[in-house]
Amino acid sequence: MASVELEIDGLRRRYGSVVALDGLSFDVPSGEVFGFLGPNGAGKTTTMRAIFGVASLDAGEIRWRGRPVDEQARRHFGYMPEERGLYPGMKLREQIEYFATLHDMDDQAAEKAATHWIRQLGLAGREDAKIDALSHGNQQRAQLAVALVHDPELLVLDEPFSGLDPGGVDDMRQVLAERAAAGVTVLFSSHQLDLVEDICEAVAIIHHGRLVASGSVEELRRGDRPRLAVRVGGDADGAWARSLGADLGEVEAVRPEGTVLISLTTGADSQRILDLARAAGPIEHFSFEDRRLSEVFREVTGASVGQAEAEHAAAGVSR
Amino acid sequence: MTWLVARRELRQRAKTRAFAISTVVLVLAVALGVALPAILSRNAKPERIGYVGGNAATTTGIIAEAGRLAGVKTVAVPQPNEAAAEAALRSGDLSAVLVGDTEVLVKQVPLGGVSGGLATLAQVAGLSKLVETVPGAAAAVAHGIALPVRGLEPPSKPLSSRLTGLFTVILVWVMISVYGSQIALGIGEEKGSRIAEVLLSSLRPIQLLVGKVTGIGLLALAQAAAMVIAFVVAGYASGSDLVHGAAIGIVLTGGVFVVLGYAFYCTAFAAAGSLVSRQSDVNSTILPVQLPLIIAYILSYTVIYADSANVFYHVLGFFPPTAPIAMPVLYASGDVPLWQVVVSAALLAVATVWMARVAAGIYGRSILRTGARVKLREVLSR
Repeated sequence: MASVELEIDGLRRRYGSVVALDGLSFDVPSGEVFGFLGPNGAGKTTTMRAIFGVASLDAGEIRWRGRPVDEQARRHFGYMPEERGLYPGMKLREQIEYFATLHDMDDQAAEKAATHWIRQLGLAGREDAKIDALSHGNQQRAQLAVALVHDPELLVLDEPFSGLDPGGVDDMRQVLAERAAAGVTVLFSSHQLDLVEDICEAVAIIHHGRLVASGSVEELRRGDRPRLAVRVGGDADGAWARSLGADLGEVEAVRPEGTVLISLTTGADSQRILDLARAAGPIEHFSFEDRRLSEVFREVTGASVGQAEAEHAAAGVSR
Repeated sequence: MTWLVARRELRQRAKTRAFAISTVVLVLAVALGVALPAILSRNAKPERIGYVGGNAATTTGIIAEAGRLAGVKTVAVPQPNEAAAEAALRSGDLSAVLVGDTEVLVKQVPLGGVSGGLATLAQVAGLSKLVETVPGAAAAVAHGIALPVRGLEPPSKPLSSRLTGLFTVILVWVMISVYGSQIALGIGEEKGSRIAEVLLSSLRPIQLLVGKVTGIGLLALAQAAAMVIAFVVAGYASGSDLVHGAAIGIVLTGGVFVVLGYAFYCTAFAAAGSLVSRQSDVNSTILPVQLPLIIAYILSYTVIYADSANVFYHVLGFFPPTAPIAMPVLYASGDVPLWQVVVSAALLAVATVWMARVAAGIYGRSILRTGARVKLREVLSR
C-alpha cells in the first residue's frame, strides 16, 4: 500500500446547533482512488472545503505530507466543488488558462496545459466557446479541466459522479484512475455508495461527521465474516436454513426469490452448509457474495443511507 | 496573485462591446459638449465694443485690430459718456467698453483673469497708446503693456466654471456608480455561480477583492482619462472658454476626487455584492451604498445654478461619502478655497482606509456563505 499523504485529524465543526464534523479522522494514501462516502449531510463537503481553507474548523488539523496544509501547499491541490462554478461569459480556453496561472504557472505553461487538457477531456474544437454555451456534460468536463490543469499532487472532487450520464461516469472514472496511477492522491466524495464501489480502491465512510468504516473496498465488502448466498429449489421461504446452527453461521436475510444470505461463523466449513442445503432440495445457487457498501453502512450505523438522508433533510440542515 | 485577478478583469472587460461603445460615446459627448458652444459662438453675432472719448478713428481701428487678432467679429459702438457706456454694459448690450486710452471696462472680470478677445483688446489699445505717446516705444512692445481692465461688478465664477463643475460632477458620478455597480455585479456573479469557491481554494479573499477593484479601477481610470483628454483637446481646438484658467483646476480637482471617491466606494460596492445569493439581487443591496452619492448628486444642481451653496452642502463637502461629488461642485462654484478642498480630500483618504477594512471584513465573511441573502448584521457581528 502506498504511503499516507493526506491526514484528516480530529476535525470538529459546529454550525449553530448542528454538528457537521464530530472528531473526524482518516488518512488518504497516494496512488489510489480514495472514496469519501456517506449520506448527504454527513459532513463530506465541509471536510473538503476545510482542506482548501474555504470552511473554517472549530478544532482539528489537516496535514499534507506531514505538515499542516497552508496556502503554498494548496497551490498544488486541485479542487472540483460540488456546486460547479465557472465564469459563464468567459471562453473555455481563457478560463482554464486563468486557473492555471492562479496555481503558479506562467502564461506559456498555462497555455500548453490548457491545450493538453482540452484535448484530453474531449473538448477540442470548443476552445473559444463561452462556458454558458457549452452542454451540461461539457461544462462538467471544463470544471474537471480547471481542477486538473496545473497537474495537482492532490485532487479533491466533491460528488464528481453526480449528474453524469453513464458515459460521463466512465470517462470520469478513467481520468481518476489514470491520475492515481500517475502518483496523484485522489480523493472524491459520493453519497451513492453502491455506484462507486467499483471505482475506488479504498474508502472512508462517514455518518454524522464521524468515521464509521474505512479500509480497502475489498476488505469492507468481504467483512469479518464471509457471506454465503444459497437458494434451494422449491423453498421460497428459505425454511431449510432454520436448522442452521450458530457454529456454522447466522441468517442475515432471505431474498424474495428464496436466496438465503448467511454470515459464516469464523472458521466454519462452508461445505457443511452445502450438505445441509442439498438435503433440503436441489441447489439452484451457491456462492460467496460480497456485501454492497450500502449494506456495510447499514451494518455499522443501523440505518440505511436513504434513512440517514431523510433524517438529515428533516432536520432542515442546509450547507 | 492579486495582479492575475486584476489582469483578468481588465482583459475580460476591456474587450466587451459595452466598454468600447461607452468609451466612444462618453468621449464624443464630452468633446461635443465642450466644442459646440465655442464653434457656435464663432458664427454668432459680432461682439459690440463701446468706446468713450479718444480719437474715434484710432479707437475703432484698435477695436477692429483686436477683433482680427482674437478671431472675433467686432462692431465699434460710440458712447456719449461713461455713464451711458456702463448702463449699456450692465444691460448686456455691450461686451466691453474702451474708455479713451486709459482703461477697458467690462461688466465682470472672469475669476481666472482676463483672457481671450478681451485681453487682446486691452493689449492692442495699450500698445497703441504707448506708440502714440512714447517715442521709440516699439522696443517696449515685446513687454506687452496692456490697459487695465476694470469690472463694474465684483468677479464671480463665470458660468463656464460652473459648467466645468457640472462636467466634473457628472464624471465623478458616472465613474463611481457605473464601475461600482460593475464591481458589485462581478462579485455577485462569482458568488452566485459558486466560482468563488474554486477561486478561494487557491486565493485569499483579500487578493480576490483587491484584484477585482484594481482591475475595474484601472479601466475606470482609463475611461475617465480619455474623457478629460477629450475635454482639454476639444476645448483648446475649439478655443472654448472652458479650458482657460480656473476651469483646468476644477477638472484636476475632479480627477483627484474621482480616484479618491472610487477608492472609497469600490470596497463598499464589493461588500454589497458579496451579500447576495444571486446576481440579480445585486441592485437592491447596492442601493444603500449609492444613496449618499445620489443625494449629493441631486443637490449639486442647486449649487451649480444658484449663487452660493448653503451650509448643509458645505457639510456634505467634508463628509467622506458625499465629498467626492460635493467638494468638486463647491470648488467649481467658487464657494470654497483650495485648502478646504485639500482638507476634504485628506478626510476622504482616511475614511477610505477605514472603509476598506470594514468592507474587506464583510466580504471575507459573506463571499462563501450560501443560501439566503446574508444580513449585514450577521457579518458584522462575527
